[in-house]
Amino acid sequence: MKRIFPALLVLLASASAGWAQKIPVVEKTLPNGFRVLMVERHEEPRIAGGWVAHVGSANERPGITGIAHLFEHMMFKGTPTLGTTNADRDRAIIEEQERIRDGMRAEEALMRAALRRGEVEDISSPEARTERYRELEEEFKKLVEEQRSLLVKNEFDRVYSTAGATRMNAFTTEDMTGYFIEVPSNKLELWAWMESERLLRPVFREFYSERDVVFEERRMRIESTPTGRFYEQFNALFWDAHPYNWPVIGWPSDIPAISKRQADEFYALYYQPQNITLILVGDFKESEAMPMLERYFGRIPKGTQPAPEVITQEIASVAEKRYLAEAETNPQVDILWRTTAFGHRDTYVLEVIEQLLNGRTGRLYKGLVLGRQVATDAGAGNMSKKWAGSFNVYAEARDGKTLAEVEQALYDELDKLASEPIPAEELEKVKNNFSASEYRRLTSTFGILYQLIFAEGMGDWREINAAGPRIQAVTSEDIQRVIRKYFTKENRAVAHYTRKAGAVSDEDPDLAGLAADQKPMARQLSNRIRESKDVEQLKAFLTQVRDQAAGTDPKRQQLQKILVKKIEQRLAELAQP
Amino acid sequence: MNTRFLPITLGFLIAGVSPLLRAADPIPDRPEKLQFPPLTYEPPRPSDYRVQLKAGPVAYVVPDRTLPLVNITVLIRCGSYLDPVGREGVAEVTGHLLVRGGVGDKSAEELEERLAFLAASLTSGVGGDSGSVNLNLLSKDLPEGLALMRAALTSPRFQSDRLELHRDQMIQGMKQRNDDSGSIHGMETVRLAYGTNFWTARMTTGASVQAITVDELRAYHRQWFHPGNFVVAASGDFDKAQLVERLEALFADWPFAGEMAPAVPSNIVMAPGGVYVVDKDVNQGRVTVMLPGVKRDHPDYPAVTVMNDILGGGGFTSRLMNRVRSDEGLAYGASSSFPGGVHYARAFQAGLSTKSRTVAYATRIVLDEINRITSGPVTDEELNTAKRSFVDSFPGTFDTRVKVASQFASDEFTGRFAQDPDYWKNWRTRIETVTRADVQRVAREHLHADRAVILVTGQKEEILKGHPDHPVKLEQLASGKVTQLPLRDPLTQEPVK
Repeated sequence: MKRIFPALLVLLASASAGWAQKIPVVEKTLPNGFRVLMVERHEEPRIAGGWVAHVGSANERPGITGIAHLFEHMMFKGTPTLGTTNADRDRAIIEEQERIRDGMRAEEALMRAALRRGEVEDISSPEARTERYRELEEEFKKLVEEQRSLLVKNEFDRVYSTAGATRMNAFTTEDMTGYFIEVPSNKLELWAWMESERLLRPVFREFYSERDVVFEERRMRIESTPTGRFYEQFNALFWDAHPYNWPVIGWPSDIPAISKRQADEFYALYYQPQNITLILVGDFKESEAMPMLERYFGRIPKGTQPAPEVITQEIASVAEKRYLAEAETNPQVDILWRTTAFGHRDTYVLEVIEQLLNGRTGRLYKGLVLGRQVATDAGAGNMSKKWAGSFNVYAEARDGKTLAEVEQALYDELDKLASEPIPAEELEKVKNNFSASEYRRLTSTFGILYQLIFAEGMGDWREINAAGPRIQAVTSEDIQRVIRKYFTKENRAVAHYTRKAGAVSDEDPDLAGLAADQKPMARQLSNRIRESKDVEQLKAFLTQVRDQAAGTDPKRQQLQKILVKKIEQRLAELAQP
Repeated sequence: MNTRFLPITLGFLIAGVSPLLRAADPIPDRPEKLQFPPLTYEPPRPSDYRVQLKAGPVAYVVPDRTLPLVNITVLIRCGSYLDPVGREGVAEVTGHLLVRGGVGDKSAEELEERLAFLAASLTSGVGGDSGSVNLNLLSKDLPEGLALMRAALTSPRFQSDRLELHRDQMIQGMKQRNDDSGSIHGMETVRLAYGTNFWTARMTTGASVQAITVDELRAYHRQWFHPGNFVVAASGDFDKAQLVERLEALFADWPFAGEMAPAVPSNIVMAPGGVYVVDKDVNQGRVTVMLPGVKRDHPDYPAVTVMNDILGGGGFTSRLMNRVRSDEGLAYGASSSFPGGVHYARAFQAGLSTKSRTVAYATRIVLDEINRITSGPVTDEELNTAKRSFVDSFPGTFDTRVKVASQFASDEFTGRFAQDPDYWKNWRTRIETVTRADVQRVAREHLHADRAVILVTGQKEEILKGHPDHPVKLEQLASGKVTQLPLRDPLTQEPVK
C-alpha cells in the first residue's frame, strides 16, 4: 500500500480539534475554457472521472421546466458514430421526425384549448388524442421503426461496460448537471474519447421516447409516492420569486411539451467548454493526463456567448406561510426558513447549528424524543444551494401528541439555542465530528470525485478545503446571532401533515377475475344477495342462475360460478339459528 | 456493431502494445481503434489476512495506514429466523438496543454522549439471517472503543425506557406499511415468492412487538452472542500483531456459554403461477415477475449470472432495459435479478414500474424477453459485453481495505471460504469460460415463463383497461388467472375485509 498523504502523521501528532485534511487538487484550464481538476490516488487500479455542467433547473423558465434533466438523459444517446449504423439516414430520420412533431404540437395546442373549454378532462389519456394527432403518431411510429433498424441500442453504455467501467450515471439538481463513471486505470484515453465525443457532437436520437421515460420517472419519484406531490407543492409555496420553486424534474404539463429544438438551443447555450469543469480522481499521472485532455477536449470550440446566470432573487418574505396537508403518512411537522447560499459566511454557522440539532445526542432528539416525548423522530437539515438557501427542521408526532405541541417544541429548542450560551463541550463535540469527517470523506476515490463535482457545481470546488477551518472558527455568539437573524416567523413556511382517512379498497376479491364490463352488474347482484333475507327468493334465483345456459363463453361461466357461490353462502348464513 | 471491442486474452491481461499517446495521429472515429496499455490485476488472498483467534472467532485483519481510522465489524450467527412464533421482532429489537440501551457501567445517555464526543460510531443490528456490531473511530481512540464494544457484546443493559421508545418507533413504522405502493409490493413479493409460512414472510405485528420484554432480549442475547457464533472483519490504521492481541482480549473469558445457531431453514414454496393484483390508488403500477431461483453454489450459477446480465441485470446493455425503456419509453427502469442464495434459492425477479394503462403491455414485453432468451442463442456481442463488464470491473470488488476485510469475513461467515477457498482467484475464469450454449441451456433450465408468478400493485381498474394502442390485457398473461390480493391491516397483517 502506498501512502498517499505522508503529511498526515505530522498532523496527527498534534491531534486535537481543528485537524484539517486538505484534498490535494491540481487545477488547470484548457485554452477553450474547460476547467480541469485532478487528484492522484494510486491505491487501486481505477479512475473515477466526471464533469459538471454549470446548469440546472434554476436556469429554466416556465414552459420548459425539466429540460435540464431531460437533457441529461439525452447525453447518453450517442454520437454520429456511436449508436447507429447509418449516420446520414439517422440524421435525415430525426429531421423528418421533427417535421411530424411540429404537426403534433399544433394538435397538442388544440387539445390544450379543448381542455381550457372543458371539452376534455385529461389530455394525457390516450382517448383524448385528436384524429389528426393519431394519424401523425402513426407516421411518427413508422419512422421510429425505421430508425430502430439502424440503431445500435445504448451503444454508449455498451462500449463503457465492455471496457470494465462501472457506476456510470448522471444527476441533475437545481444548480448543476453532473456526469460520472469509474474506469480501469489503463482506460483513461477511452474516457477522454467518449466524453469529448458526446460533448463535441451529441445526437439526440430517441428524443420522444426518452421524454416518456422522464415522465415515468416523475410518476415514480413524485406522483406515486405518499408525500411526493405534497413536498412539491410545499416547495412551490416556499419560494416566491426564485426559480427554485419548480421541481427539477419539471411540471407535468411541461415535460411532454419540450421539443428537440429547445434541447438543441439549451445545448448551445449551456454546454460550452467555459461552462463545464472536468474532474479526474484516481490512478493516473497528471503529467500524462493533461496532454490527453488537451488533445481530446481541446478540439471542442469555445462558446460564443457566456451562459447567463440566474438573476432573479427571492423577495423578502413579509408573512408566515402555513400548509395543511392530509396525506398517506404519519402526522408530522415540517418547517422551512429562508437562509443563505453556498459559501455565504453564515452558511458555516448554519452547518454547525444543523449538527447541534441532529443525531442521537442532538438537541432535537434529546428534547423532543427522549425529553418531552412528543415525537418519535426529529431532525434538521441545512440546504444551502448555489443561488439561495433554506433550513429545515421536522418531527414526527408521537401517538396522542398534537402537531401544535410538536411545532412548539421545535421552536423551544431553537429559542434555547438563541438565548443560552452553548456549553463548550457540546460545541467541541460537534467540531470533533466535522474534523473526523475530513478523514472519513477520503476513504473512497469515487467519493472524492463526487464531492468535487458537487462543490464545483455549487460554485467553487475550493470549498471542500476551505470549509473545515471556517466551521472550526464558529462561536456560540455566531450561533445566537444567526438564529435570531434567520429563524423568524415571517421567514418561515410551516407544513402540518395529518393522516388521510383510510384509502383501503373495498372491492370484493371474489370479483377480481371478472372483466371490467361485468363488474358493475356482479357488484349489484352480490350486494342484493348479501342483503336478502328471503330464503325462497334466493333459492329461486339459484335455480334460475344454474339453469341459465352459460354456453362456452368463459367470461359468463365465471360470473355464473361467482353468483352461485354468493347465493349458497347467503343461504348457509340464513340457515344458522 | 459486429466489431469486438476488445480481444479476450487469457491471464486477465488487457492487451495493447502501442505507446499511450500518439499525439500526431488524428483522433479515431470509433473507440475500438484506441489501444490501451496492459493492466494486470490479482485479487487479494484471504490467507494473507485470516487469523484464527485463540478466543474462538476467525478474524480477517487488514492493516491500512493511509488514514487514522479503524473499522471493526463482528458478524453474529443469529437472526429473525430464530424469533419464536408470536414474538416476531425479538431479534430486531435485541440488535437495535444492544448498543442503544446502555452497556456495562454506562447508561444509554452516557454511552451516546461519549461516542459522539469521540466522533466514533458503535452500531448494532440483527437482520434475517445475521447480526452485526460495528465500530468505526479514529485510531487514537481504539482501546476505549474496543472496551465499549466488549461491554456491548457481553453486558448490554437493555434499558426499559429505550425499549419502550423503540417499540413506539416500530409501531409508527408499521403504520406506514400501506402508504407507499412499494412497501405493499415488497411484502407481497416475499409472500408469493417463498410462501406465507416461510420465515422471511413472518412479519412483526403491533401485538408481537408489544409483547417483547427486557427478559426476552436478555435471553436472546445470552443464547446467541458469544465468540462461537462470531466472525470478525478489521481494517485500518493499526499494526497487525497488535490488533490481533487486542481482538484476543476482546473475546477472552466470555461471561456466558450460549448455543451454536441452528441452520437457517430453506422450506420455500412459490405461489402457483398467475397474475396477482393489489389495488392501490397510485398512477404508476409496479410489476414483478417471479420464478424459482437457485442457490449460489449451484454449478450453473456463473452461467446464470451471465445470462441474467444479458436479460436484465446489465442495466443499459440488457435486453429488458433496451426494450421497455429505450424502445418504448414505458418505464424509468426495467431489470431482472437472479441473486442466488446462501441458505435457500432466492427467487428470480424481473420488474418495472409504468403508468397504469401500459402495465399489461410492459409485462407482456418482459415475458416475451424471458421466452426469447430461452428459445434462441444470445449474440457473441452480448456475451462479450456481459463477460468483459464482469471481468474488467472486477478490481472494484476489493477497491477499499474495508471491502477486503468485509468480503472475506462474509465468505467465512456464509461458509464459502470453507467450501471454496480460492473462490475469488478463480472467479474470472468461471465467468470467462461461459459459452453461448451455456447461456441458452441455463435459461431454458431455470426460466419457465409459463409458470411465472406476476405481482401487480396499482390502480386495478385502470390497469385492467389496458391501452388502445397495445391490445394486450392483464388477464391474458400467465395462464389467464388473475387473483386479487387483499390489502392487509398494517398492524395485524390480517387481510382487510
